Order: sequence, then structure tokens, then C-alpha cells
Amino acid sequence: MTYIPHYATYDIKNELKMIRRFKKMKQLQSVILLAMIVLSGIDITHSMAGPSGKLVIFHAGSLSVPFAAMEKHFESKYPKLDILREAGGSTKMARMISEIGKTADIMASADYNVIDKSLIPSHASWNIRFASNQLVLCYTKKSQYASEINNTNWYNILTKKGVIWGHSDPNLDPCGYRSLMVLQLAEKYYKVPGLYDRLIANRPKRNIRPKSVELISLLQTGNMDYAWEYLSVAIQHKLQFIKLDDHINLGNYQLDSYYSQAKVNVSGKKPGTTLQRVGKSCTYGITLIKDAPNKKAAVTFLDYLLNPDGGLAILKNMGQPPFIPCRVPTNAMKEKLPEMLKHRVVVTD
Amino acid sequence: MKRHYDPFLIVSIISCVSVSLFILAPIIQLLLGPSWVIILESMRDPDIQKAIGLSLYTSGIAALIALIIGTPFAYLLARKSFFGKRVIEGIIDLPIVIPHPVIGIAILGIVGKQHWLGALLHRMGVYLMGTISGIVIVLTFVGMPFYINTVKNGFEAIPVRLENVSRSLGASFRSTFFRITLPLAFRSIIVGFIMCFARAISEFGAVVVVAYHPMTAPVLIYERFTSYGLKYSQPIAVLLILISLLLFIALRLISRKDINL
Repeated sequence: MTYIPHYATYDIKNELKMIRRFKKMKQLQSVILLAMIVLSGIDITHSMAGPSGKLVIFHAGSLSVPFAAMEKHFESKYPKLDILREAGGSTKMARMISEIGKTADIMASADYNVIDKSLIPSHASWNIRFASNQLVLCYTKKSQYASEINNTNWYNILTKKGVIWGHSDPNLDPCGYRSLMVLQLAEKYYKVPGLYDRLIANRPKRNIRPKSVELISLLQTGNMDYAWEYLSVAIQHKLQFIKLDDHINLGNYQLDSYYSQAKVNVSGKKPGTTLQRVGKSCTYGITLIKDAPNKKAAVTFLDYLLNPDGGLAILKNMGQPPFIPCRVPTNAMKEKLPEMLKHRVVVTD
Repeated sequence: MKRHYDPFLIVSIISCVSVSLFILAPIIQLLLGPSWVIILESMRDPDIQKAIGLSLYTSGIAALIALIIGTPFAYLLARKSFFGKRVIEGIIDLPIVIPHPVIGIAILGIVGKQHWLGALLHRMGVYLMGTISGIVIVLTFVGMPFYINTVKNGFEAIPVRLENVSRSLGASFRSTFFRITLPLAFRSIIVGFIMCFARAISEFGAVVVVAYHPMTAPVLIYERFTSYGLKYSQPIAVLLILISLLLFIALRLISRKDINL
């Protein structure tokens, strides 16, 4: 007979007991888990009262800072909602929806024309103008001639050899073709024939970037001396900037007929073809995408954004003059708006 | 007799098939997407030729730089152990883990006038933003770890014994390296070169921050996609994939031949 020490048998018994207990615990766990799943299902149906889930917003790069502030504010109001923002050149973001078929709930463009041209009628049915902006020439303390530049000599400095200045790609970003329009209008306004060509001759292609916001890092790292940006972007990024006369800054919609003298060719539907953009004031447009997965949350957010005490106040604080109230061009378009938003807009061209 | 299948073997086969499909399905879709007419048309497009040419050229230079600078370094890491070696190995891997746009921003940070090095370069008239040299620097940065790691493993696989024999027979350190070690490591050097080249050719995020113009092929694909849509960006992607494939198969064949000598 082999000798089994007392403590060993005790251990085995204890272990068996533990195993049995563990098995029971597992059964209990699965019951609790099942209950939790059922309860969470009930919870989802309960929370249908306020907007919840994910809300996807595509917006122009120049709206990043105010939209981030709105996101924070709105999410604190509706904690069950998660706003997912994607920023980029407006034309590109519209293409993401119309060509790649990416799903989004809301699209906000730095040029309301982009929504009219590439989303209506198949991906959206209306377009609200909610804010304006203007172009400014940004620089830093370290930029060449930073101490001399002002709003009457800026174009002389931009034609100086060795001064590195740039703008965003006119084919991808409305800020890009608008920068070129400003230069054309400057030639007319200051009555300096040939100014536009001389300016462009001093701007090698490598100074062009896809998005205007990307130029900021070039300014801040000292790779570039001057860059064309929206006023809002300059204020949000605390850049130094030159504000131009209303006749050339594209910021005053009452001067739209003057702005229309500027014409820039951008890429068309096929490589090699072009499309003419005519000068117009910077007017931001926003729309609800037709097959928005979270329409309820989207409309609630739009109602908040278009509220003079909500999103519009944030825009105003960040250097982006909102339209109070916001505008749609026709009565027919106003009719197409969700009921909740109709009182937020007026009809005016 | 009943055949016995090991369940692990079955799982391995299933995973092999699903991984291959996972990689191939989107690429096949991409290759079948554009019609041959558009691909032929794209081959004649001077912008596309220039962009693909620039991609091959800058990636090739980057891989060459990695080869020249990286080989002695990889040898050192494979053969010697010294204080701080782990830290250095960690530093080499950094470019792999840093998000690509951050690499671009970091590089712009030291070549701009706000940094003393950038200020010096500007005074000498050297601009890296938006130039071919700038692109090469970015591509070398992202490709280097792939070269060094591959070649280091190659050197490690060569028995030290052979080097010792060579040296004991009177060969100098240098001639041992060039006549014994290097020929034996040739295959891994080619593989490292290919890895570095491939990594460089595919780089977009860091390049687009440093240079939008002149456009490399991935940047042109992005530009074409955003301004004209999918239809006109796909053919460039197809061309780039085909050219890279040919190139890499050719390089692999070269290395295969030599190992049989």
C-alpha cells in the first residue's frame, strides 16, 4: 500500500469542490449575461427619445475648429450620440459621397455651389447657406518682409524674388481658386496691368498644397513666408494676417457683381477638360444627405447648428460671420426642408 | 485505409486560402475595374508617365541610399553587442510606427527656417519642401528600417566561423567582409533592397505633406481621384501595380540566380 500524505488528499478534495463551484459560477455568469443582453435591448428602445448612435459629418477643412467646438457642445447635450467628423477639401468630400458611396449624414461645404453641382438631386435635395468668410494673406513674424507688409504693398512683396508664398490647389479646394480670384481682382482694383501673371510667375508649382489648412504648418515651420487662407482659419490658428479691401477679399456678397469679373479654370469631369469658376462671395452651404443612416440625429444637429444661440454663435466667435437667419434661394427649396428646420431659414437670393 | 487529416493542417489551409483572398479580392477588383482602352490611354498621358517615373526614380535612390548607408550598420548590429544596442534597434523601428503624415510634418519641421538646420539650408539655397530631394529624404526615412532589419537578419544567418577562418588564413577584416560575408549575404541584401523600394513606392501620407508637386504616382492617384473621380485614378494604380510587380519579380530572379552559383 502506498502512503498518501494527509495534506495531499485534502488538496484533491478541495480542488474538486472548487471545480464544482466554478462550474456553477459559469452557469450563473451566462444567465447574467443573457439578462444583460435582453435588458440592453430594452434600453435601446427606451433611448429612442433623444438622438443617439453615430452621426457622420463631412465638412470643409476650414470648418474644423468651429465644428469641433460644436461637436463637444452637442455631445454633452446628448451623451448617447457620437459625432464623427471627416474634414477635407469640399469637392473631394462631395466626391466621397457621390462616387465612392461613403455614407454620411451631413455635408458642409466651403462653397455652397459644390452641393448644388455634385450632390443635388441624387444625394441631397436642399442646400442652406449658413456662413460667409473672406480671404486674407497670412504670415508669421519670421516671414521675409514681415515688418514691412501692409494692405497696400502686399502684392509688391509677393512679386519679390525669394519670397515663398502659396495657395491650395484650385482643382481640389475652393480656397485655391478663390485665392487666384483675389489676385485677379487685385489687378483690376489697384489698376496694375499684368499683375496677376507676374504674381503667378513668382509662385512655383511646388508651393501649392491640396488643402489650404495644410499651408499653415508650412508657415509655422518656416518653409513658406505667406499663404492665402480664410479669415476664420487665420483667427483660429492665431496667425498674423493682412485684411484686404472688400472689393478683392470675396467676403461681401453685395459686391458679387464686382467679384464676377474674376474667372478661374479648374479641372473638369475628365483629365484635360476644364470648368470655369466665376468669382462669388465665400458662402458656406450645408445639407442633409438623402440616405443618411441617422436622419433624426442629423436634423437635431442641424437645428442646433442653425440656431443663432447655438452653432451660429460659435461660428461668429471664431471669425466666421454667420448668416442670421440662414438662407435658402427659393420657396420651393424651403418646402423641401425637414419641418424642424423651416423656421431657421429665410428665402433670399 | 482511412486517411487521417490533422485538424491543424485543415485550419492552416483554410487560413491560407482566406488570407490570400483577403489580399487578392480588392486588388483583382482594382485590376478589372478600368477598361484596357483607358489603361492604354493613361500610358500615353505625360503626367502619368512623369509621376510613375518620378516614383520609381525617387524610390530607387532611397533604396540605394539605404543600401550604402545601411549595410555596414546592419553588419554592426548583427555581429557586435554593445551598450544601448536595444535602444538603437528601437530607434530604427520608429519610422514604421509613426503615422505617415507625422513623419512628413516632422521632416518639414527641421528643414524650415524656424529650425537652425533649415535656416542654414535656406541660406545655402537648398529647398526641401516640394523638391525631388525632399521626396527622397522622406522615402529613405520610411524605407530604411525595412532594409536594415532584413539585412541584419541576413548577416546573422551567416556563421561567424567562416569569417574567423578567413581571417585566420590572413585575410584582412575588409577583404573578409567583401569576399566572404557580402557574397553570402547577397540574397538578403537584394530582398532588403526590394522591401525598402516597395515601401518607398507605396508611401503617400508623408510625401504629400513634404511635396505635392512634383507629383509621385500615389500623390497623382490621390489628385486624380479627388478632382476627376475613381474612373481616372484607377488606371494609374493599375499601371503602378503592374510596373512594381515586374520590377520585383525581376529583382527576385536576379537574387535567385546568384544563390545557385
